[in-house]
Amino acid sequence: MAAARRCYDVRSVERAEVLRYLGYAGQPVTPELDARIDEVVARCLDVCRPCGVTRVFDVSGHGEKNGAPVIELAGTALALEGRSIAEHLDGAVAVGVLAVTVGMGVEAELRRLSLTDRLAQVIFDAAGTAAVERAADAAEADVVAAAAARGLHCGTRFSPGYGDLPLATQPVLLGALDAGRLLGITLSPALLMSPTKSVTAVVGLFESPRPGVRSSCAGCPCRDFCVLLRAGSTCRG
Amino acid sequence: MTREKSRARRVRDERLAAVLRGEEFLVLDGAMGTQLQERGLAAGELPELLCLTHPETVTEVHAAYVAAGADAVTTNTFGANAAKLGDAATVEEVFSAAVACARAAGPRYVAADLGPTGQLLEPMGTLPFEDACELFARQVRAADAAGADLFVIETMADLAEAKAALLAVRENSDLPALVTMTFQEDGRTFLGTTPEAAALTLSSLGADAVGINCSLGPAEVAPLVRRMLPWASCPVMVQANAGLPRVEGEATVYDVGPEEYAAAVAGMLDAGVSIVGGCCGTTPEHTAAERALLAGRTPVARAARDCFAVAGPQRVVALEKGQVGVIGERINPTGKRLMKEALRTGNHDHVIAEAIAQERAGAQILDVNAGLPEIDERAVMCRLVSELLSVTTLPLQIDSSDPAVVEAAVRGYPGKPLINSVNGKAESLAAVVPIAARYGCALVGLTLDEDGIPGTAEGRLAVARKIVAATDAAGIPRHDVAIDCLAMAASTDQAAPGTILSAIRAVKAELPGVRTVLGVSNISFGLPFRPLLNATFLAAALGAGLDLAIINPGARRMMDVVDSWRVLSGEDEQARFYVEHYANRSDAAPVPAAAAEGEGGGAPAPAGLPDDPVERARALVIDGRGGPMMGTMSEVLRGHDALFAVNEVLVPALDEVGRRFEAGSFFLPQLMASAEAAKAGFEAIRASVPAGEASAGKGPVVVCTVRGDIHDIGKNIVRMLLENYGFEVIDLGRDVDPEVVARTVEERRVRLVGLSALMTTTVPAMAETIELLRERAPWCRVVVGGAVLTPEYAQMVGADYYAKDATETARIATEVLG
Repeated sequence: MAAARRCYDVRSVERAEVLRYLGYAGQPVTPELDARIDEVVARCLDVCRPCGVTRVFDVSGHGEKNGAPVIELAGTALALEGRSIAEHLDGAVAVGVLAVTVGMGVEAELRRLSLTDRLAQVIFDAAGTAAVERAADAAEADVVAAAAARGLHCGTRFSPGYGDLPLATQPVLLGALDAGRLLGITLSPALLMSPTKSVTAVVGLFESPRPGVRSSCAGCPCRDFCVLLRAGSTCRG
Repeated sequence: MTREKSRARRVRDERLAAVLRGEEFLVLDGAMGTQLQERGLAAGELPELLCLTHPETVTEVHAAYVAAGADAVTTNTFGANAAKLGDAATVEEVFSAAVACARAAGPRYVAADLGPTGQLLEPMGTLPFEDACELFARQVRAADAAGADLFVIETMADLAEAKAALLAVRENSDLPALVTMTFQEDGRTFLGTTPEAAALTLSSLGADAVGINCSLGPAEVAPLVRRMLPWASCPVMVQANAGLPRVEGEATVYDVGPEEYAAAVAGMLDAGVSIVGGCCGTTPEHTAAERALLAGRTPVARAARDCFAVAGPQRVVALEKGQVGVIGERINPTGKRLMKEALRTGNHDHVIAEAIAQERAGAQILDVNAGLPEIDERAVMCRLVSELLSVTTLPLQIDSSDPAVVEAAVRGYPGKPLINSVNGKAESLAAVVPIAARYGCALVGLTLDEDGIPGTAEGRLAVARKIVAATDAAGIPRHDVAIDCLAMAASTDQAAPGTILSAIRAVKAELPGVRTVLGVSNISFGLPFRPLLNATFLAAALGAGLDLAIINPGARRMMDVVDSWRVLSGEDEQARFYVEHYANRSDAAPVPAAAAEGEGGGAPAPAGLPDDPVERARALVIDGRGGPMMGTMSEVLRGHDALFAVNEVLVPALDEVGRRFEAGSFFLPQLMASAEAAKAGFEAIRASVPAGEASAGKGPVVVCTVRGDIHDIGKNIVRMLLENYGFEVIDLGRDVDPEVVARTVEERRVRLVGLSALMTTTVPAMAETIELLRERAPWCRVVVGGAVLTPEYAQMVGADYYAKDATETARIATEVLG
C-alpha cells in the first residue's frame, strides 16, 4: 500500500499528565506510591513501541450527506462527515490523516497486570494513554513537516468520535493508511481500536497560519519530534 | 510426515503433490494491493470489490505474474470476509468473481487468499475464536465452490487466528493450505509470536507449508525463516516485501529491486525454503527473477527436528535426546483447599500466583487441571487457559479426564499443547487420540486399561504398545507421545517402585522414539517426610530414562535432583547452570521456619508504624503498604479471631480510605494501594482459617462493563473493593452481551448486578441489559456507574441504584445483600 510506517522515539511522558489521568489533585503521596508510579511509568515506556502512519490528501470537494456537510478527499475513499469537522477544517486545502499506536505489547502487559497487579494496571494504563498521545504528537509533527514542504500550515488534531465526526469513519480511515498491516491496529464490531492505546486523527492544512495554533515552539506539543526545528527552521517559516 | 498429512488432500496434479512433499519448487505471485493502487485503486477502498467492478484490471495483474513465470496466482480476496465486506457484497460473490479473475489469467494453480479478519481475537480483543473460525469457514466454502486449487492463509499476526483459519480450511475443504505469518523487525509478530512457535504449531496442525510474508524485506526475513526451518515438518515458504517501504515526497517507495530480491531468496533456497513469491512492493519483474533463480536447482532435502516439542505462542519448549523436562503440577485442585476455592469462586488470583511461582522455580510446562465435580469444568478450563496465556509464556499441559474439556481447551490454544491424557481403554483411545491428531498436540498416555493398572512392567509395556499403535495409526509422530508408567505408593507395595522403573526402561527400549513422563509424588503416599522419598525416586526414574517429570518445582529438593541430574547426564554443559545457582549452597541446617518468617515474627515494627499490631494493620491499609501486612496480620491473629481482624481492623481502615477518596484527599492509586494492602490482610486471614470454616462470602454480585465498551478499570476497582468487603464477585469482564448477564443472573440466582459504562455511546447497551434483567430476573437489583453516568442517566436507563464510585457500590451491596 502507498503508506509507510514510522517508529517514534517516545522517551518520556509528562508525569503530571499521567497523574492527571489518575485523578491526582495535589494529595500528599507516600514515597512508596511515588516510587511505584515512577517504576510503572518507566516500565510502560520500556514496553511501548510507538509507531504510526501519516498521509496527506488534498481536499477535492464539499458535499452533503443526510443534511450534514461532507469533506471529500482526492485519491481516497475517506470522506469526513459532520458539522464539527467541517468547522474544524473550514478553509483547509488538504488534510493530514494519521494513525498511531504504542503496540500490542502494552495491551498484553495491561492484561497481565489486570490478573496480577491491579494498582500497577491502573498506573500503566494512564502511562500508556500519555505515551500514545506523545506518539500522536510525533505523527502530527510529520504532517506539519509535510505541510511546510508545500508552504502550508497545520491546524490541530481532530479524531473520529469527537463532536459529530462519526466513529464509522474508522474503518475507511484505517484502511486508507493500511494501518492493519503496518501497525497491527484492528477494529471491534463497536468500532473500538485494539491495541486500545491507539489514536487516529485528521489535521487540516491551510494556506495561512491558524490563529493561536503553533504560534511559538515553546508551547507546541510537537516540539520534541519536530523535523523542521532539527533542521533549524520552524513551521512559521 | 505429520499426523494430518495422513488425511487425504485433493491435490490438483502430481507436480503440486511433489511441491507439498518438498520435492519441487513452487513460485507464487507477488503483490496485488500495490499493483492495484498503481492502476488507480483509491486508498481505503475495499480492493476485493474490484473483482466485481473491474475484473479485467484484476486479471491484468494476475496475467502479468503468470507471464513472468508464477506457477500460482493468489486471488484478490485478502479482506473478503463477511465482517469487512459488510453490505458491499457477499463473500460468495467476491470469491466466485475473484477465482474467475485469477483463472482467466491462465495460471497453473489458483490459490484462494485468506487474510486476517481485521478484528482482534479474545481475550485481548472481542472476537470469539469460534466466530473467527466461522468467518474463515464461509470464505473457504466459497473459494472451494468457486474452483480454487489451494489456500494461502497470509499476513497473520495472531497464532490463534492463523489456527482458526487453518482449522476452517481443514473442516470445510480437502484442498491444501499454505500458512504464513508476518513478523516485525524484532523477530516477533505484533502479538509476540516467534518464528519457531509459529512453525511448530502450524506444521503440527497440518499446514501443508508454513512461512513468512509481508512487513519486511528479504534480507530481514532471511534470519527469521532460518529459525523456522528446523521446526517445520512441511515445506517452508517466503513472500517478503520489496524492502521496507519509505516515503519519498508524496510517494511510497520500495527499494529492493528484482536482482537484489532474488539474490536474498537464493540464500533462503540454500537454507531449505522451497516455495517463494512476493508481497507488498514486489512486481512481475521480481517474480521473473525468482523463476530464473530456480533453473537448474532442486529443493534442499531437509527434515524437521526429531524431538519432543510443545509451544505456547511465544516459546517452544523442546527436549533434545538426553534432556529432561519439568512439568509443574500445582494447578490442580486435588487435595488443595485454596485451589479448590479459587476454581469454585472464579477468583483465580491464587492460580495465577501458582503459575508465576512455578515458572520462576524452573517449570518448563504447566499442567492445568480444573476437575472439580461441582463446577463447569469446560468453561473454567478455557478461562484458566486464557488467563495463564497472559501471565506465563510456558506451554500448557491440558489435564482432564473429559475429552470434551480437552478439545475445547486445545482447539483455540495459540500453540502446541500437551494433552494429559489418554489411556489404554478402547473408549479413551477412540475419544482422545483423534483430538491430539486433529489439533496437532503432544499426548500423555497412561499405562492402564479396562483391566486396571497392570502389576508388572511387562503388563504396562503391553498397554503402552496398545497406545502407541493407536497414535502411530493416527499419524502422531512418536516424539509427540509420552508414556506415563504410573507411580504407585511404595507404602502399600514395596515392589511397586522397581516395577515402575522397569516399565520405564522397557518402554524406552521397546518403543523407540516414544518419551516417558511420570507424576512422581504418588510414590511416597502414606509415608512420613515425603519430599525425601519423592526426590530419591525421581533420581532413580531419571536414571531409568524418564524424560518428563511432573512435580512441584517449588519443592527445593525436587529441583535439586533435576539440576544435579542435568550435570551428570551432560545436559547442563560445563555445569554452567549448576555452578551459577549452587556455588553458594551447602547442607548446613536450614534456619528454623519460625525465625525465618522475619517481620511479624516478634520482630520490631517497621519504622514509623505503631507497635500495636491492630493499629499497625490499620495504618498499613491507610498508607497502602502491603509488604509488611502478612506478618502484622499474623500478630493480630495471635490475640484476636478472624472475625475481629476483618470487622474491627480491615473494614474500618478501608472505610477510612473510602472517606478520604470521596473527600478528594486520596486519589485513585492511593485507594488501590490501600485495597491491595487490605487484600494482603484478607489473604493472611483466609490462610489462617482451617479448611471448611472459610466463609463462602456474601453475594454473589455480578459485575461487568456493558457491550460495546472495553474500558474496565472502574469495574475492576469495584470488583476488588467488593471482594475485600467479603463479597463473592462474578466478574464477567468487558464488552459483555446482555444475554450473558441475564443467563448468569438466572443460573446463580444473583441478587445484585453492577454495570459499568465509560462512553455515552454504550449507555444504550446498559439500558438494554437492564431491560433484559427485568424480564428474566425480576428479583435482581442493578447498580450502575462509570465516568459518563449521572443519577439522572441512571434513572433513565432504569437502574435501581447509581454509584458514583467503588465505595458507594460496596455500601449499596451491603444494603442489598446484608
